[in-house]
Amino acid sequence: MSRVIHVLRAWGRSVEGEALAMKEGFSPRYDLNRTTGTITRIGHSCEGQSIRGRILVIPTSKGGVAGGWAFYDLLEKGIAPLALVFGKLNPVMVQGAILADMPITEGWTEDALALIRTGDRLRIDPAGREITVL
Amino acid sequence: MQLTAEELAMLHGEQGESLKKAIAFQVEVGRFFGAQRLVPITNAHVMGDIEVMGDAGFGFLEGFAARKAQCRVPTDSNARCMHFDDSIECLRPDPAEEGKERRVVSMLRDMRIATTDTCINYQTVYQPKLGEHVAWGDTGTVIYANSVFGARTNYEGGFSSFAAAMTGRTPAYGFHLEEVRRGSIAVELRATLRDLADWGAVGKIVGHPNQDYLAVPVFEGVRDMPLSDALKQLGASLASYGSMAMFHLVGVTPEAPTAAAAFGGREATSKIVITDDDLEAVYRSYRFAEGAANVVVFSGPQLSIFEMQDLAARFAGRKVAGGMHCFVTTNHAIYSDAERLGYLATLRSAGVNVLQGVCFYLLQRMTDIRAENGWTNLVSNSAKLVNTITAHRFNTVLRRTADCVEIACTGKLA
Repeated sequence: MSRVIHVLRAWGRSVEGEALAMKEGFSPRYDLNRTTGTITRIGHSCEGQSIRGRILVIPTSKGGVAGGWAFYDLLEKGIAPLALVFGKLNPVMVQGAILADMPITEGWTEDALALIRTGDRLRIDPAGREITVL
Repeated sequence: MQLTAEELAMLHGEQGESLKKAIAFQVEVGRFFGAQRLVPITNAHVMGDIEVMGDAGFGFLEGFAARKAQCRVPTDSNARCMHFDDSIECLRPDPAEEGKERRVVSMLRDMRIATTDTCINYQTVYQPKLGEHVAWGDTGTVIYANSVFGARTNYEGGFSSFAAAMTGRTPAYGFHLEEVRRGSIAVELRATLRDLADWGAVGKIVGHPNQDYLAVPVFEGVRDMPLSDALKQLGASLASYGSMAMFHLVGVTPEAPTAAAAFGGREATSKIVITDDDLEAVYRSYRFAEGAANVVVFSGPQLSIFEMQDLAARFAGRKVAGGMHCFVTTNHAIYSDAERLGYLATLRSAGVNVLQGVCFYLLQRMTDIRAENGWTNLVSNSAKLVNTITAHRFNTVLRRTADCVEIACTGKLA
């Protein structure tokens, strides 16, 4: 049975992929090894996980202006996430996602973190402002 | 979004490919946030170094450099990832990346960017006035501009600040709008704040549990007029832990003559009381890990001339202990002044390494540098730094300035 989550704001093309759900905020600078695409911050809920090709589900953004360039760089290195699903974000995440042509959403009507588990398949439809848990 | 005739001309490519790309990007970002228009800016601060841009960003910037793109407003650059100084062997960057970084600097200069390489532009380069719209690309600079000057800017990451510098405009959303600047969290400061690290600790207490770009804490109870360096640490920490872009300090910052004015009718969503015990609990929450080689770092943001003066006095006649490395970062302007004033000589003779034009957590190849040197703990009086550097797998510890100096000179982790 699929569940639909409505989002407040969204940008980009529709994509389908596997979720990596985080319990806390995320910053490409604070939490990620940007050479390998692995989350390396000691104690992060996704420590040791790769972000490559996955839809990151993130409650909040941390910091930082690094995301402005970092997502574009990760894309060229072949280790970029497929899309970003935020509870609350800061503008850098949007600026970085648009430069990297990476779909991004903000806000959710139902608690996405309660509904989405790491490994779930998601469809992100920015035009319809919808996330479907397949 | 409503665009002026000139903005439409840019968007349609009538003013060249670079301006077309820049404004098209700004319109996309503005639409996401529901911006109604672009607002003219007077100043931009760009963040672009090879460590964070990578080859992708480098190639992207080369396109603008090749088209001879120029900034329309006075623009400076943020701290970089390399210090271009071979004398500090333990921090060697990758030679190939060093060549690219030098090329990035030269492209920025060609774009009419003053490469001040500083994250404290608000102390040393440009101080915007109340209500002045700017586009600054470093979180610590943004929160200082909004809060202490009453200027108006969002976080402008990566290409965003370059686009603003070129078009001389930025989308009017977020902190460019009056209603977004009103307070939303009430903070009562009962603690006595004696050290720069205490101000950073306050930023962590408020920021960490309330991560929200649009949250604006209002601090009451400040007893003594805080110095610029204290507000720098508070802002950098709130931005780092809370992703926040503005705070009010009642009776101190320009948009907060009273608490009522700071809140402007917006309801406080939560109230936080900070006591001396709360501050001590922050310091107690850090644990040293077992390790023979460790670093003490004064950085994040770069140090002001008064911080350099203070550190020189604290290190005078002392020596950094075996097994410890100690680093200080500042910008070129303050480095030159500190050289002239003799502060650098004092620090060098104590075995302290002073880096210019960089911030410690931005350094290229940091994960490898940490491993090569076998560094385990990173001790700092900057609450921001102990948060931002963690992807490189340091065990980080926040300590007051005097404790940091003591740890550096005795090697005793306490």
